[in-house]
Amino acid sequence: MSLNVLGSLAADGGGFQTPTSAEFYQPLWFDGPFAITRPAVVLILSVGLIAWWLIASTRRAAVVPGKGQWVTEGLYGFIRNGVARDIIGSKDFLRFVPLLFSMFILILVNNLFGVIPPIQYPTMSRIGFPIALTLVVYITYHYIGIKRVGVGPYFKHLVPSGLPGWIVPVIFALEVITFFITRPLTLALRLFGNMFAGHLLLLLFITGGQYMIVNGGIGLKIAGGGSYVMAFVLTIFEILIEFLQAYIFTLLAATYIAGSLVDEH
Amino acid sequence: MNEPNQPPDDPIGPPDPDAGHPRLEEAHMWNVVSYLISGPVMFGGIGWALDRWLGTAFLVPVGILAGMAVSLYLVWFRYGTQQ
Repeated sequence: MSLNVLGSLAADGGGFQTPTSAEFYQPLWFDGPFAITRPAVVLILSVGLIAWWLIASTRRAAVVPGKGQWVTEGLYGFIRNGVARDIIGSKDFLRFVPLLFSMFILILVNNLFGVIPPIQYPTMSRIGFPIALTLVVYITYHYIGIKRVGVGPYFKHLVPSGLPGWIVPVIFALEVITFFITRPLTLALRLFGNMFAGHLLLLLFITGGQYMIVNGGIGLKIAGGGSYVMAFVLTIFEILIEFLQAYIFTLLAATYIAGSLVDEH
Repeated sequence: MNEPNQPPDDPIGPPDPDAGHPRLEEAHMWNVVSYLISGPVMFGGIGWALDRWLGTAFLVPVGILAGMAVSLYLVWFRYGTQQ
């Protein structure tokens, strides 16, 4: 039924253009591989904003914190204690807190930009940004592991001891693929996919609702209103996802670092 | 959540050297996902290559199933037996 209504609407009204992945490529200056795109500008803006906020909220740090200091300390304590200390362990965690904290806050702010007007662009919905962040994590945990035990033993330690001999080559191949391909791939794709899909969904409900209200009859105008309600509900949901993805990325980075630091085999 | 030997959440206090990593086990849950993806992909890929080479068609599903088995075995061995 509803499909028919939409079909006929598309047939006579010139058609509703569903948002596609092409919406995400928005060059502002130049074109081609060196174009300065909207997400690049959003990222630079976020870095400036974060730097200003962290300096402004902690410059006159007091024992009884003001509102800004309270928020910054809360976020910092959350990453320092809840992620870094509890996962990496109290012996080594302090030197990784700056990395994890800046990573968390950068991803969080950029994700939240996806729903904050007038920016409304989740930087991480362009795959290059998650890949760059993942590379930092990737190099860090391999570097720590290789520096701690050396190249040969590092590969030897990939396989847990005590396995039956005949299965060791198979498990070794599996571990190498997991450590060197699956882990970074899933880390980058999870963040990218969540931000991309969420933003596309919001775009669809908002542009679709607008189209139905502007071009449709009375029935479609009501459906368009429903579409806006959905857009609102999904925006709330999206904010939750944005927090969650920033947290999971940081949590996994800490897990990988912890794995390179402890003798778990 | 409220384990008795966990230090209080004090953002400025010195780290407690005896605390260990209370949440590392929980975080390993996420590593399991990576293993469960790697196995079927790797063995499915081997099956696909063999299919191309030998001209058969049944080795991809066989490879995926074998990969699942190896992944589950590794997860069990790594996180299930060494407590």
